[in-house]
Parts: sequence; structure tokens; C-alpha cells
Amino acid sequence: MTALINDGTIASSFRDPDGFLFRSGRVLYRQVNKVCRQDYRLLADSGLYQSLVGDHLLIPHQKADLGLARTAEAFKIIRPETVPFISYPYEWCFSQLQDAALTTLAIQQRALEHGMVLKDASAYNIQFLRGKPILIDTLSFAGYTEGQPWVAYRQFCQHFLAPLTLIAYTDVRLARLLRDYIDGIPLDLASRLLPGRSRLKFGLLSHIHLHARSQIRHAGMGAPPTGGRGVSRLALRGLIDSLSSAVRGLRWKAEETEWAEYYDRTNYSPEAIESKRRLVKEYLSAANPDVVWDLGGNIGDFSRLAAARNARVICFDADPAVVEKCYREEKKSEKSSLLPLVMDLTNPSPALGWAGRERDSLAARGPADLIMALALIHHLAISNNIPLPMIAEYFSSLGRWLIVEFIPKEDSQVKRLLATRKDIFSGYRDEEFERAFSEYFSIQARSPIQGSRRILYLMGPSG
Amino acid sequence: MIRINQGNSSTKMLRRVISVAGILGIHHLLSPQAAHAYLDPGTGSYLFQILIAGLIGGAFALKIFWRRIWLFFSRLFSKKGNDDRVNK
Repeated sequence: MTALINDGTIASSFRDPDGFLFRSGRVLYRQVNKVCRQDYRLLADSGLYQSLVGDHLLIPHQKADLGLARTAEAFKIIRPETVPFISYPYEWCFSQLQDAALTTLAIQQRALEHGMVLKDASAYNIQFLRGKPILIDTLSFAGYTEGQPWVAYRQFCQHFLAPLTLIAYTDVRLARLLRDYIDGIPLDLASRLLPGRSRLKFGLLSHIHLHARSQIRHAGMGAPPTGGRGVSRLALRGLIDSLSSAVRGLRWKAEETEWAEYYDRTNYSPEAIESKRRLVKEYLSAANPDVVWDLGGNIGDFSRLAAARNARVICFDADPAVVEKCYREEKKSEKSSLLPLVMDLTNPSPALGWAGRERDSLAARGPADLIMALALIHHLAISNNIPLPMIAEYFSSLGRWLIVEFIPKEDSQVKRLLATRKDIFSGYRDEEFERAFSEYFSIQARSPIQGSRRILYLMGPSG
Repeated sequence: MIRINQGNSSTKMLRRVISVAGILGIHHLLSPQAAHAYLDPGTGSYLFQILIAGLIGGAFALKIFWRRIWLFFSRLFSKKGNDDRVNK
């Protein structure tokens, strides 16, 4: 459950005085405050709302009863379409972050055409709905005044351009800096971490390196001098175009990682793969889940079996390369119900931000109806020394049903894991596995995967 | 999905020109206006934006102009090509 303050206000929605999100019952509402009455009206009157919603760039909303207002400042109450799963930029792969950046710029350009601007450019305002990035903050718009610079320029560079450039030029693992720096990666840090060749691109030289230098040079200077020239409309359009070119020009080639070629190197025989697919389908049919979390889902082959049943699926994997591959594949479909995300289960997303409540932990965004953990247990138990009862306990906090694969020590994949280390895992046997998981689930079905020594289980809620 | 205009081969050379112009003009600062928003734009970012947007704005105007010329001639020649095919 999303973190709430006592009156039902969503704990992440407090920075903007123009309004906030709150829950009444199970329904999400947004209070629009009187202070932004003019901007809110302009959004509708200028045609911008219709234009953005029509192109699936802004979350649509319905008007709701003003009686639901939480404070006397309320001007309107709206009910936005619900985003089923809130994901965060530090959980996105390169292309997801790039698409979110380009969506933000496309919205800013469209806003400008309608006499408005985006007053913030937070990556957290973008979510993936039916596989596509969309702005979820209806109150992100303000009327444009000729000459006014883009107030969210710094935020855009920190939230989008810096992490994308670090991934493209330095190392994909630096994307995790977004988890530490909740308002985006400081540009001076990005500038220091980037190689010299990144200065050869005008967009990166200006929007990151020189921008960072300007920030350092004017740090502590206070309010900028006023009364002089600002940024003309044409210059602002040029700035958006330049940022767009810089973002579009970045490429990340997902190198062959340990998992990116997993299905090419796996020890499954065609018979075993077919047997596993058949069993997974059978178990999915028995549990009939609406929401599935596929843990360690790789490029999403088994996630797609759940998605084909119209379940909403989140496919988590620790490897950004396989998440990238899965996302690029999903982008081809018009309306995807599969969202791939980067998640290291041995160190999953924690609660972050102010009071530890602005961004939810992974567990707080659950539970799912069903968890899939295929070819995963041996990595957690053997590669990461996590005892089986602790795995079972954590899984039970994430989902009610479970499809889980147990891979015995005789399997070549487990042998590979044990080849370079002492076998201290005397309890890693199917009987111990069943005992540990029976504490938290009830075992509904147990089937060997034909052509292998692996076992696939369907487990349901205990009691 | 709506995307901002893609660059094409005709703009590559122009981008190089923009790069040189940008690097040469980078120390020229202008006086900004105040921003009124809940987000702090940051003084250094604010001043830098005014500088860089000024430089980019000029180049952007040139880019639009260049694109229009390019479009005009490409339409002209494609029309001519179509006419030729029709005449055959």
C-alpha cells in the first residue's frame, strides 16, 4: 500500500502548493488548490489538456465532488485514471528513461504551443501506463510569459540527461545513483564521472559540463539579478530542441551480460522448456491472477505467458541488459500489460525520500496476486547465502500465490555455482525447500519438469 | 507517440557550426529575469540557461530556415519527378 499521511494524503505529494493527491476509500483523488485556479483553467481552455490526453501524453481525469476536499484551499477535486503500478526512475532501463525524457520534452513543446510551460520536469512525474510513458501530474503546467526561462531546466538535466549520459558514456551501474540522489544526479558529479570525449558533443558539453561549471561558479550567489533580458520563445524552443537532440543522440548498447544471453546458454533441453511452459500455463490457469510479479524474469519469456492471460505483469530482473531487451520487445506492441523493471532482489528498492515515505519500497507496492520465481531460488540460496525460510518469508510478503522452481544440486547450473566454492548448503534439498515454504504457503501442486531434474511448484495462501 | 522533429543529414553540418558558435560564445553572460515558481531553478542554472538558450536560439532559427529551404527543394524535385513519371 502506498505510504499515506493520517488524513489519506499520499506521502509523496507535498512539494507543490498547487495541490496534492489523497485517497478516499480505495480511490485516488487530486485536490486542485485555489492558488492555481488560473493555470488549471488555462490547461483546459487552451486545448492543451485535450491535446495531451488525446495523444496519451497526460493522464486523463474526471471531475469529482468538491465535498471530498481535504482543506479549505480546494478549488477542484479530480479523479485521475489509476496507474496500476508506480515505478521509479532508478528501476528503469536506459530506453525507459530515454523515452520518459523525450516524453517530457514533447509535453513541454506542446505546452509552449498552447501558451503554457511545464513548471517541473521530475522523472517521478512520468509513469508507464500500458507500456508507454505518460505524465501523471495534471498540475505540472503554468501559464507562459514571454521572456521567462524554463524553470525546470536544471531538474530536467539532473533527472534525465545526466543519468542517461552516464549510462551511455561511463557505466550502466551509475543509474543507481538516482536512488541516492532523489532530485536527480548533481551535474558537477556527473561532469566529473564522464569521460573527456563526452565534451565533444555540443549538447553534453553545454547542458552538463558547462552547466555544472556555471552552478559551481554561482553557488551561494543568491537570487539572480533581475530586470534584464530573459529567454525568447524562439530560444526556448531551441533549448528544448537541443535537449531533445542530446537525449536522442545517446545510445546504450546492452553488452552481453551474464543474463542477456541466458536462454541461449541454458541447460534446458527443448523437451524441458516445453514442459516448463506447459506447467506454468497450467498453474497460471489454476491461480487465475490479475497481477503477476515475475521475479528474476530475464527477458520476459514466462512473463508473457501471464500477460497473454490479460494479467498485469511486472517482470523484475537485476540485469539492466535483459530489462532493456524486454522493454524494446514490449515497445513493439500497441498496448503492453508487461512492465519490465530493474530490481536486485537481494537489495530491493527501499522506502526513500522525506521521512522515508516519499518513494515506496518494493514490498509496499504489493502484494501481487501471484509471484513467479523461475530458476531463481538457487541464485538466492547458493550465490547469496540466503536461507530458504527467509526466501519463503519474503516471497509471502510480496504475493499470495507462488509459482516456484526448485533446481537440485545435481543440476548443471547449480553445479556451476558450487564449482568455485565450498558446499555449505547441506539443507539445500527439495524436502527442506518444501518444509521452509510450507510455513508461509500451502503447496497446491508439485510437478517434475520433464527432461530435467527440476521441480515446479504451485503454492497458495496458507491456512 | 508524438516526438520532437528528428534531425536529418541536412542538419549535421549545421550542428557542427552550432558547436563552434556555442564554444566561442560561452563566456558571454546576460542579465536574467526573476522566475516565479515553486521549484528553485538554481542561480547558476538560471544564468546559464539564459546564455545557452540565447546561443541556441540563433542557431535554431537558422535550422528552421535551413529546413524550410531543404523542404522546398525536396518538394520541388519530388514533384518534378512525379510529373516526369506521369508524363511517361
